[in-house]
Amino acid sequence: MSTVSENLQPVVEDEITIEVTINGSPRSGRAEPRLLLADFLRQQLGLTGTHLGCEHGVCGACTVLIDGEPVRSCLMFAIQARGADITTVEGLDDDGELHPVQQAFHAKHGLQCGFCTPGMVLTCKALLDHNPTPSEPEIRDFLSGNICRCTGYVGIVESVKEAAAAGRGVSPAAPASTTTER
Amino acid sequence: MTVTEPLTVRPPQYVGARVLRVEDNKYLMGRGRYLDDLALPGMLQAAFVRSPHAHARIASIDISAAKALKGVVEVLTGAELAKMGTPLVADLQREEVLPVGKELLATDKVRHVGEAVAIVIAESRYLAEDGAQLVSVEYEPLPALVDPEQALSHGAVLLHDDVPGNNVAHIEFDSGGVEEAFAKADRVFTKRFHAGRQHAAPLETRGVMADYNPGTGHLTIWSSTQLPHFLRTLIAPHLQMSERHLTVIAPDVGGGFGLKCHVFVEEAIIPLVAKRLRRPVKWVEDRVENLAASGHAKEIVMDIDIAVTNDGRFLAFRGRYIGDCGAYSGYPWTALIDPLAAANLLPSLYDVREMSFQVDAVLTNKCQTTAYRGPGMAPGHLARETLIDDIAHELGMDPVELRIKNCIGPEPYVTVNNMRFDGGSYVESIRKAQELVDYDRFREAQAAARAEGRYLGIGFSPFVEAGTWGSEGAKALGFPAEFYDTASVTVEPDGTVTVTTGTFNHGQGHHTSLAQLAADRLGVRIENVRVVDGDTSKAVWGAGTYASRSAVVAGGSILYAATEVRNKLLALAGSLLEASPDDIELYDGQASIKGVPEKSLPIAQLAGVGYFGGALRPEGQEPTLSATRYYDPPQTYSNGVVVAIVEVDAETGRVDLQRVVAVEDCGTMLNPLIVEGQVHGAVAQGIGAALYESLEYDESGQLLSGTLMDFLYPSSTEVPTIEVSHIVTPSPVTEGGMKGMAEGGTIAAPAAVINAIADALTPFGAVIRHAPVRPADVLALIEAGRA
Repeated sequence: MSTVSENLQPVVEDEITIEVTINGSPRSGRAEPRLLLADFLRQQLGLTGTHLGCEHGVCGACTVLIDGEPVRSCLMFAIQARGADITTVEGLDDDGELHPVQQAFHAKHGLQCGFCTPGMVLTCKALLDHNPTPSEPEIRDFLSGNICRCTGYVGIVESVKEAAAAGRGVSPAAPASTTTER
Repeated sequence: MTVTEPLTVRPPQYVGARVLRVEDNKYLMGRGRYLDDLALPGMLQAAFVRSPHAHARIASIDISAAKALKGVVEVLTGAELAKMGTPLVADLQREEVLPVGKELLATDKVRHVGEAVAIVIAESRYLAEDGAQLVSVEYEPLPALVDPEQALSHGAVLLHDDVPGNNVAHIEFDSGGVEEAFAKADRVFTKRFHAGRQHAAPLETRGVMADYNPGTGHLTIWSSTQLPHFLRTLIAPHLQMSERHLTVIAPDVGGGFGLKCHVFVEEAIIPLVAKRLRRPVKWVEDRVENLAASGHAKEIVMDIDIAVTNDGRFLAFRGRYIGDCGAYSGYPWTALIDPLAAANLLPSLYDVREMSFQVDAVLTNKCQTTAYRGPGMAPGHLARETLIDDIAHELGMDPVELRIKNCIGPEPYVTVNNMRFDGGSYVESIRKAQELVDYDRFREAQAAARAEGRYLGIGFSPFVEAGTWGSEGAKALGFPAEFYDTASVTVEPDGTVTVTTGTFNHGQGHHTSLAQLAADRLGVRIENVRVVDGDTSKAVWGAGTYASRSAVVAGGSILYAATEVRNKLLALAGSLLEASPDDIELYDGQASIKGVPEKSLPIAQLAGVGYFGGALRPEGQEPTLSATRYYDPPQTYSNGVVVAIVEVDAETGRVDLQRVVAVEDCGTMLNPLIVEGQVHGAVAQGIGAALYESLEYDESGQLLSGTLMDFLYPSSTEVPTIEVSHIVTPSPVTEGGMKGMAEGGTIAAPAAVINAIADALTPFGAVIRHAPVRPADVLALIEAGRA
């Protein structure tokens, strides 16, 4: 005989006001202490571009930038982000004009279903902000905390190279592809 | 060698060009709308109470504490749900198959860890989970079956009283002369292979939202599904509703890979609850639920026998497939989705005229099994292709030459079990892959490395992919039913084009590739074509997207419908330009007389006449410019090869995947950029199957891999650059020459990687009998070889 968690009591705590800077603008919302930052962004602020793939810190889909550093918003409470400067995917484009990293993902087929994409482009932005000329092993190492189930990372790695090259004003060599027609 | 850059200018035709995807921007900007991004006024959220036991009787459920919690609106158990809707019963129109039912929520028994026994609906997900913790369930544990052969054995406890022997189906095939062929063979090789338990594990989990309007009697269901129309048709009876009162919308879907081409109990429960409460209700699966209680895949215990002559000719294949199918028969495709598909693809590209197989689809106390990219085909391929490498080794033959010696020719070929291959580059693709990896030089490098105590290996894995799933193709794999699809093509009054299709884009780039087809056929620019799918009230009925079917079935139906509309445009142009419709060409938004480009009209103007031109229309031509057509293709099969090169570290057991080369032949390519993306993704999933991904249960049926810390996806440091080459052998039987593709990489890559490991470990006489192959397994093989 067994019962499930019969001794657990629900957590009921008061909401508090959280003030943050999101994508350059001040925003505030209410959050109970247990509210995850990801849920705060998505539900309280309506920024649903931040996705949740596992809620236990493995997949990286929920990655946002806090003071320029990639952070898993599913492993952080909203309350811990009080006063932080947060960049979400919604803050990357310039009034519809894609950020160079976004443009590179488009040009190199760096996305398929799009679910990992926000976390992936933010992570790539953080990489290139720190290291504008990453080698392929450096790219792969930096991206290894972001899971993509669709692309096999081939297009993504090419996208980062493309974005890095665009930052230097050059165009990288296209990957080889051969076709035999009948 | 041609290197083609993505397209930036209007090509002579879109089909075949590397057109950048038109759907990208919303995803890149975080403006995709996935299931969990949706919300409705007054919406409630649900959480499930799930079994911690593999097999148990439910003695009692106490929901009082949960119901008393502030913010909890309702708590329902299986007994209540049973009054509201009916079980999902998976059955196949074959006499061997037993129907298996799954209650919406378990009432008397749970049959796997994670099976839902109650649902809590609350003002927020947090509160719903609080409530779920307060539901107290008393279980009486029963013996758990975790070994399919034990489950099959006489006297085993039954999971379902109406499924004797725990066997959903025993299916046999015999070409007639198999035993004779084995009797006269010089050599008979045998292998048991146990393929690992996998999970499609799309990055977006499942999820359902529903909203009932008591004023109209209309229910809208949003689901993260691959088949919105099919879901509506299949779920309506369980909701006791008519399809006219049901709308199903698939919003943006973050990957499916086969998991979401099923109908799940949650897709009945959430609508039923929304209807009962008269408030919108949403449930989003968490990752633990996803791993424990959605759909597992591909675990099959296989015994493969091959009868061979001394000079390496295959005389006969014999296979036994025991599917470890979990506690239910996945709805609607049944528990046969893996073992039967594995068996029917046993011949692959080998010219074998005698074959027999036996299939058992066995119920065990694990999560049910469902389709996952290359269902059945992938594990079946592993068993066959690793055995072929073993045979080459035993006969002292080169494994590539052994395959080519037994390979069918390029022309159409009917297999011994009546699969009708429509021709392909079966040998040519292997030769091309050999060239790409510089096979002879690799063998030299391998020998040199071995002399230094380093272990390099290479694995070849040529494949035939039984995708597409028109009615004939599905039947050939053992699944008889109708699988056509439908498209509507409309030239709007301003000359832009709307295509609707019953297939559903969830990452495959259909909004680009299908628009390419329509743009070419109608002579318009691709930016003037919009593809609409994923909403039963906006797109024509169709069976959805799975089994690599969309390019062929959606493509064919779009070509048919667009041709009808094109003919109307040609008639209008002929009439207005005073020429025969046969002399009109449509290109780049203009209709002109061939050879007389100055005599032209914008297609937008033709469209205006088509809608509002009255007597300007040719006599008898109806107004508007629209057509709806369906297409049900004959059997078609793509083919190709995956080659892997590895170095194995004999000290640590680590496998360094140094190079992966794929040759793909899927007939006419709509868009090589998208084809390559599909190959990359499929191969990466195959690498996961070979080296990392496995859902493990202990002997009591407890799931040990319930998080992504335990079920390991390959990351960017595990997947190397995947080199893709194309051969184009257009299908002679499909409209447009396309062949379904996107699963070949997942079918073939596991065997390529595992054969490469075995090849590297040849000095240790390694024979690999299971997947995945992890460092501990590698070390065990080395140790066994040294002993």
